[in-house]
Amino acid sequence: MTAPGWLRWAWLAPAIFIVAFLLVPLASLLARVVTPETLDYVADPLPWRVAGLATAQALTSTALALVVGLPMANALTRYRLLGRRWVLALATVPFVLPTVVVALAFRALLGSSLGTGFVIVVLAHAYLNMAVVIRIVGARWSTIDPRIETAARTLGANRWVAFRTVTLPSLGPAIASAAAIVFVFSFTSLGIVLLLGDSSTRTLEALVLRQTSILLDFQGAAVSAAIQAVVVGSVLLWAAKQGASVASGGTRTFRLVQARGAARMAVAAVAMVAVLIVLAPVASLVWASVHSSSGWTAAWWSALFGSTTIDAGSTRIGSPLAAMGRSITFALITGLVAAVVGGLAAMSVLAHRLGRAFALATALPLGISAATLGLGTLLAYGRAPLDLRATGLLVPIAHALIAVPLVVAVATPTLRATDSRLVTVAATLGARPSRAWWTGYGPTLRTVMIAAGGLACAVSLGEFGAASFLARADGPTVPLVIARLLGRPGEASFGVAAAMAVVLVIMTTTLVAAVDRGGRRA
Amino acid sequence: MNDDGGLNLACDQLIVGYKTPLHEPFSFTVEPGSVLAVVGPSGCGKSTLLATIAGITPALGGRVIIGGHEVTQSPTHERRVAMVFQEPLLFPTMNVRDNVAYGPRRAGLPKGQAREKAEELLGWVDLAGLGDRPVDQLSGGQAQRVSLARALAAEPRVLLLDEPFSALDAPLRTRLALDVLEAVQRAGIPAVHVTHDPAEADTMAHGSPSGSILSM
Repeated sequence: MTAPGWLRWAWLAPAIFIVAFLLVPLASLLARVVTPETLDYVADPLPWRVAGLATAQALTSTALALVVGLPMANALTRYRLLGRRWVLALATVPFVLPTVVVALAFRALLGSSLGTGFVIVVLAHAYLNMAVVIRIVGARWSTIDPRIETAARTLGANRWVAFRTVTLPSLGPAIASAAAIVFVFSFTSLGIVLLLGDSSTRTLEALVLRQTSILLDFQGAAVSAAIQAVVVGSVLLWAAKQGASVASGGTRTFRLVQARGAARMAVAAVAMVAVLIVLAPVASLVWASVHSSSGWTAAWWSALFGSTTIDAGSTRIGSPLAAMGRSITFALITGLVAAVVGGLAAMSVLAHRLGRAFALATALPLGISAATLGLGTLLAYGRAPLDLRATGLLVPIAHALIAVPLVVAVATPTLRATDSRLVTVAATLGARPSRAWWTGYGPTLRTVMIAAGGLACAVSLGEFGAASFLARADGPTVPLVIARLLGRPGEASFGVAAAMAVVLVIMTTTLVAAVDRGGRRA
Repeated sequence: MNDDGGLNLACDQLIVGYKTPLHEPFSFTVEPGSVLAVVGPSGCGKSTLLATIAGITPALGGRVIIGGHEVTQSPTHERRVAMVFQEPLLFPTMNVRDNVAYGPRRAGLPKGQAREKAEELLGWVDLAGLGDRPVDQLSGGQAQRVSLARALAAEPRVLLLDEPFSALDAPLRTRLALDVLEAVQRAGIPAVHVTHDPAEADTMAHGSPSGSILSM
């Protein structure tokens, strides 16, 4: 390929970004950990006990997400069904919902019957993550020729044996890969466990937050973060190995199967259950935003848009409108930074000899939890001599760091699928290298960047973990305000929080829908 | 290969299709060791006829009879009608040997014996020594021969062939056609061979004793 010269240096910008905002913070964290007293901290049973609790919780959440997600993956990606695309898009909604919104929705839906604790946390995690199972396993499932099970059946296997011996082994890597991701999300969960959990559902992420913000035990926090990073790193490494064999599977997708008889009823039932599961918490959220103990009310919504501050007795929550403005600004900066950095990274992955290694490096933030990232950033840039907190840039920078791996993951395969011969054709027609490259990749790149930037915006709007470390007390984002409101008693707090959550749902789903539509057009 | 001493396949006023019939009712008998070649343009219901005989698609009416026993309502896996498709449809997570051993395993043979049987069949289709190979490392012709070996290893009572040669080039087609004809006679089972190519139908029908052609 005749690549323009500048493309060889495109990796510099993302590399500098990652060094400055990921490696330097991690190094400051590490510098804190490795001291003579470290061994005492490592010997402290507390983080290990929390790690054990989090493992049990994450394993249960993963199992439930698989139980719920696998039938949906089968029904929604393999069979002809009226409104199938719509249901599939709907089933993805929970994944893009901010965790505090899901926590609030589950409290509105099940809080009175389940209270807080293990069960509701696991349910909320399964709800958030079933889309991971549906998308990853469904994508694999749709590349398995449905006739291959038929072939097994003509050789004497009944339906179940044919599934178990032929289809399941093909799905295995995809299931393992999805399970690893759900495990990591549940293991490092913060918003859900803070708002719905009790002492049985603590995570290291929540422990780190408590150690830094309440106990001011930075070294203990660093040790907790390190334990979490090791667990997450090992699981993701294992998942990457599984993913390699996923990628080696076929890429051809097969025509949807027309289910008949009982199978048809089952497919329709699964789709209906999927719709119900997705909508019930959201519906109860909307209900909570227009309802009080005395009936219908518009009070929560007028409080949202009317007053300048919500009086919270001893603590002031700040103006909801200001928080929304702040969240939107942060989201826009995040989208811009992530699209540019991630876009350049994706281009380098394609153009560079060390592309694969580079792709792995840009995926690093995925393995580092928000709390670890937040804590490291705080240690590196939140104090003299370099205090960036006052600039208000720390939150969008951390969000961009979280979003860059997503941008790279979205952009790289699309760019790779672009026919590189177009560049050669343009070059043979007299285009200079840059021009030729842009002719080949420009149109794809533009669409992908807009889509990925939108996705990064959505991530930023709902992000809770890093923001809770990095946002200043007088400058909270919308998820932080929701969490603070939920921390207070009274139905007014709950109602206003629900109204804010509804706004967040609308903003996030609109963004993601627009991105999805744009992506499909590309 | 077949201890049943050969059973015939009969279709009696069999109506095939999805909701509405695709064709006039079928009535025919295929004797053990012979081939019925079904020829016709694409979309005329040839493949649906095979799917109905195999029990993959329910019959809209009429009967499927194997060796005098009606199987119209039996599930696919109980009919013992192995099928070779247009594409080999090998199981991607198994190597060549385990693909061929799949049918014997379902019939309850222990792993060792099933694999021995697979090796025997692989030798028969000239693929001895390839048992350990992953199926994605086979050529198109090799894959289709594995698919044939896999079908025969299941000791079917009927062999159904759904345009099994159409993805292959001419020399391979001839080679595989001879393989199929020999297999059908050796096993002493009836076979139904679907194709859109009249010449191929001719080869298959006249290559076996009492073979015939059904034009659709």
